[in-house]
Amino acid sequence: MSETGSSRKRVAPIIASVVGALLVGFLWVLVTAKPNTADDADSPLLGQPAPSVVTTTLNEEDFVLARRKGSWVIFNFFNSTCVPCVAEHAELVAFNERESTAANPAELYTVINDDNDDSVRAFFSKNGGEWQKIRDTDGAISVAFGVAKVPETWVIDPNGYVRLRIAGQLTPGLLDDQLALLKKQFGS
Amino acid sequence: MNSKSVNNKWSWLLLMLSAVALLAFGSTRTSDPQTQADRIDAITKVLACPTCQGESVYVSRASAAESIRAEVARQIAGGQRSDDEIIGYIEARFGSRVLLVPRSTGLDSLIWVLPVFALVCAVGTLGFAFRRWKVVGNDSISEEDAQLVERALREEQ
Repeated sequence: MSETGSSRKRVAPIIASVVGALLVGFLWVLVTAKPNTADDADSPLLGQPAPSVVTTTLNEEDFVLARRKGSWVIFNFFNSTCVPCVAEHAELVAFNERESTAANPAELYTVINDDNDDSVRAFFSKNGGEWQKIRDTDGAISVAFGVAKVPETWVIDPNGYVRLRIAGQLTPGLLDDQLALLKKQFGS
Repeated sequence: MNSKSVNNKWSWLLLMLSAVALLAFGSTRTSDPQTQADRIDAITKVLACPTCQGESVYVSRASAAESIRAEVARQIAGGQRSDDEIIGYIEARFGSRVLLVPRSTGLDSLIWVLPVFALVCAVGTLGFAFRRWKVVGNDSISEEDAQLVERALREEQ
C-alpha cells in the first residue's frame, strides 16, 4: 500500500507537468497565431490564370476575357443596391478618367452581380461611367472568382494572371497605387 | 464452470467481430445519390454559405449561396466532374472556410483523429484504474476490521 502511494507521488508531478506543458503550448499557439485574413484580400486565385469568362455586355456585345490579353483588366463586381458600391462609384469614375490618358490604359469592367439590366442602366445614366458592364448570369463569374460579397475589385495582368483582389469599398487612390505597383512588378 | 467462461469469451469475441464488421461495411459502403437533384442536394449540404454564419448553401437563400448552387447544378449537368471535384472547384475559389465537413487529409485530419485518440486514452486509463481498484479491493481484510466484525457479531448474539 505504501509502495503504491510513493509511486503515485512520483508519477503525479510528471503527469501534471506534461499536462501543464501542453496547456502552455496551446496558449502559445493561440497568442502567436496570425489572425485569419481570408476576408480581406487573400484568394487562392492570386498568381493563377484568371478563370474563363464568356458572357455578354449590357450593349449586347460578346465579352471573352481571354481576348483581352495584352491589357490590364479590372473587374469591379457591382450591385446597384449595395451601399459601398454606390459609395465607391465616384472613385471608379475618376480612376477611369485618369487611366484613359495613360500610355497603356487598364480596361475597367463592371460585373453585374445579382442585379437586373434596367437598374444598372439607370444607375450608370445617373452617376456616369462609360466603361463596359458585363452580365453575370446565375453568378457564374462571381463563383469562378470566389466573390461572396460586393463590391470586389480584381486586377488581371496582360498575360491573363490574377494579380490583385480588393475586397470591399475602394478608398481614394487605392486602385491607382496598387495598379502602379503591379505594373512596375509585372511590366506594363 | 471453466467451459462456461470459455464459451462466454467466444461469444464476446464474436459480438465484437460482428460489430466491427458491420461498422466497416456501413462506413465503406457506397450510397451515391442517383438523380442529379440528389447530387446537387448532397454537395450543397457540405458547402458553407460564404456570407452567412453557420448555414449551408443548401439551406441559405443568400445571393452568394444561390450562385454556388447554380454553379454546382451547371457542373453536374455538364457531367464532367465528380462530386469531390465540384467541391474542390468551389474550395479552390472561396478557400477551405467554405467546407462544412473538414477534409480527412493533411492537418485537417487531426479533427478526425484526435477525438478517437482521446477516447482510446480515456477508456485505457479507466480500464487501468478499475483494474487497480479491483486489486486493492481483493486485499485480505485487516486484523482490526476482522476483530471489529467479530465483536459486533458477538454483541448481536
